Amino acid sequence: MAGPDRDRLSWYEASARQRLDALLDPGSFTEALGPAERRMSPHLPLFDLPRAFDDGIVVGAGVLDGKAVFVAAQEGRFMGGAFGEVHGAKLVGLLRAAVAAKPAAVLLLLDTGGVRLQEANAGETAIAEAMRAIVEARAAGVPVVGLIGGRAGCFGGGGLIAGTCSRLAVSEGGRISVSGPEVIETNKGAEEFDSRDRALVWRTMGGKHRRLIGGADAFCADTVAAFREAALRLIADAPAFDLDTLVAEQDRLQARLDRFGDCRDATDIWARLGVNDPDAVPAMDTPAFEETVAHLREATHDAR
Amino acid sequence: MADWRGERKARDARIEAGRAHAQGKVVPAGEATALLDAVLKPGDRVCLEGDNQKQADCLARALSQCDPARVHGLHMVQSGIVLPEHLDVFETGIAERLDYSYSGPQGARVAKMLYGGQIKLGAVHTYLELFARYFIDLTPHVALIAGVSADREGNLYTGPNTEDTPTIVEATHFKNGVVIAQVNEIVDKVPRVDIPGDRIDFVVEADTPFFVEPLFTRDPAAMTETQILIAMMAIKGIYAEYGVRRLNHGIGFGTAAIELLLPTYGEKLGLKGEIATHFALNPHPTLIPAIESGWVRQVHCFGSEVGMDRYIRERPDVFFTGADGSLRSNRALCQTAGLYACDMFIGATLQIDLMGHSSTVTQSRVAGFGGAPNMGSDPHGRRHPSDPWMKAGREGQVVGDPALMRGRKLVVQMVETFGEKLVPTFVERLDALELAKKIGLELAPVMIYADDVTHIVTEEGIANLLLCRDADDREQAIRGVAGYTEVGRGRDRAKVEELRARGIIRRPEDLGIEPLDADRSLLAARSIKDLVHWSGGLYEPPARFRNW
Repeated sequence: MAGPDRDRLSWYEASARQRLDALLDPGSFTEALGPAERRMSPHLPLFDLPRAFDDGIVVGAGVLDGKAVFVAAQEGRFMGGAFGEVHGAKLVGLLRAAVAAKPAAVLLLLDTGGVRLQEANAGETAIAEAMRAIVEARAAGVPVVGLIGGRAGCFGGGGLIAGTCSRLAVSEGGRISVSGPEVIETNKGAEEFDSRDRALVWRTMGGKHRRLIGGADAFCADTVAAFREAALRLIADAPAFDLDTLVAEQDRLQARLDRFGDCRDATDIWARLGVNDPDAVPAMDTPAFEETVAHLREATHDAR
Repeated sequence: MADWRGERKARDARIEAGRAHAQGKVVPAGEATALLDAVLKPGDRVCLEGDNQKQADCLARALSQCDPARVHGLHMVQSGIVLPEHLDVFETGIAERLDYSYSGPQGARVAKMLYGGQIKLGAVHTYLELFARYFIDLTPHVALIAGVSADREGNLYTGPNTEDTPTIVEATHFKNGVVIAQVNEIVDKVPRVDIPGDRIDFVVEADTPFFVEPLFTRDPAAMTETQILIAMMAIKGIYAEYGVRRLNHGIGFGTAAIELLLPTYGEKLGLKGEIATHFALNPHPTLIPAIESGWVRQVHCFGSEVGMDRYIRERPDVFFTGADGSLRSNRALCQTAGLYACDMFIGATLQIDLMGHSSTVTQSRVAGFGGAPNMGSDPHGRRHPSDPWMKAGREGQVVGDPALMRGRKLVVQMVETFGEKLVPTFVERLDALELAKKIGLELAPVMIYADDVTHIVTEEGIANLLLCRDADDREQAIRGVAGYTEVGRGRDRAKVEELRARGIIRRPEDLGIEPLDADRSLLAARSIKDLVHWSGGLYEPPARFRNW
């Protein structure tokens, strides 16, 4: 294939490396612990499972529209982008390095089902360490921006990490949640949540819903160019990480629970938000959806 | 004195008994079981409508609740064993004997019940031969069918999923049988009359709309680069090579990939109008881009597909539609069209042996045949020539007077060398043989016999079996495209190279195809939403296929 065409390249379809290539200024990316160094999972061979030379995550430094940034991109096609020991350590190392190097931002291209079951303890630890490292980076004045629009979505510990970011951008195909659809169905039954009803899944966890309730701060068309544009915007208006912001976030989440806690379906929430025709939301194209969002006050906030 | 009206009198008596539960012809859903108790007699042949698409599910539930003391020993003659109730009746003794065609989701339970002797099996058929037997020796005494709406006279609107209904009614009504239809609603006037009211004896107003399985929807998002490569080879090495215009596609991802490559890769090869113009095919959503870009002239359908009704309604130049605008499908006629009027069948399978026999049976499941063997066989009754048919005939002709040569239908198996969970597709011996022995089937359930198969396409290449001249050619041609399976690794390398030199095996590079070009960006649609866009918003995918 020819060089990356960020206007045409689908974020959903692209690999982690294709996303980074097209997202950053051309030729600006320097990878740390790349595939040539063979830092692979020590656990997967015990289960007779194939390993990846980069353990499913690409980390390094690059330039975004002239600004120095750190980036981490998960490869959703390797074990669903799940966190293992090496995978997590690469992310945590990058975030800790950002505290000292102070890039303009850290971009997290999240595409993950959560923790890898085969190395669950190491993966869970990695999630906790990554959350702490994000907080430390933010406290040091480095915004951490999550970009979510991959096939694996952003689930489990990935959902927790997303919750600690300064800002999030999401596309329609992107999903953000902690428990995945199948997990909810298994625990609560298909009557509570039918994981095969994909329209329900997207209504509940998908990018549009997250944007409408303010869970995500930007909604992107499914192109790398749209995510790049959103990343630049979100870096520019990332909130300061101070007590005021945290109190505002607590208030925002409390108000959301009070207002929507009794809703049975996302469309009930959208109606209560003031969306005129909630049933029309899933089929809306990006411009129409952004027009809808522009009229809602919950979608925009200065918390996080 | 012979009584030439015994059956007619018996039919009249059944209808009379049923009238007690009806107002005119109309029966409320709650009375359906009582109606069946009254109409059915022990040992009746009963056709309960249902195939791989629509189901007379309300009547299936009603039948399963009949009193086994009154209704027992039924002989079920039906297209599909699909709903749990279809087998429940055998456990309670309501039914005893079975002749059927397809049992996709219930395949494992069918196998278990056959093994346990709970079902006395007549035979597993193809759709067309089961329909044929309805008119010879398996004529139903009672048919339980499904439609969308009916008026009080019984005039029936089947809706786009007409499917088997006309055939079942024809066989039952005109040979002294009783026809009971379930409908979603009773209306004053039906949108169109698919079955005239005088052929319908009772109409049950169902509590829920009849179930239809969206069996023919393939999500482009799940299509792999291997499938795209195989599809590219098929288009260039078979469709273009033989100039195949009239054809039937299977339901797998491989043929769906072909449908999505026609407007992109096919266009690039300059094949528009030269291939894939006339189909015997269900309205596959993945066909939308090819229709919209003017590739497809005409499609006749076995049934409809969930979500496609509005689109079809707006494309009457392509589909068969009634005066009301909605699709008119017909399984028996479309199967016949697939058998006699198509030059090619192309589809996937689960297992292929060294001679090219194939089967979708695994050791523990009897999935039945459905319609694939009707499409995937060379019809010896065909007498009209066409270029692809004659070319295939010439390639396969080995002996005899060329003036007496007849053509051949192209029957193409398109498979990845390893299937789901890395199970090898190529095997020394079909599991079907083992299963037949275990449950005592007289005939092993072979989906497509070797002598009907003309080509096998895998990611490793195309094997043209028509050009093989002896059993060794054939075995090595199959091994030669079987990749890294045991069968593939057992190849005679020198022989395979010889076959390649003779054009019997063709690799991607022999076809001028670079495997790295097989990229998802070639697909005309990469998601269900892309299909919705292609359709101008007319395609309405069911919830389970939406990711928005």
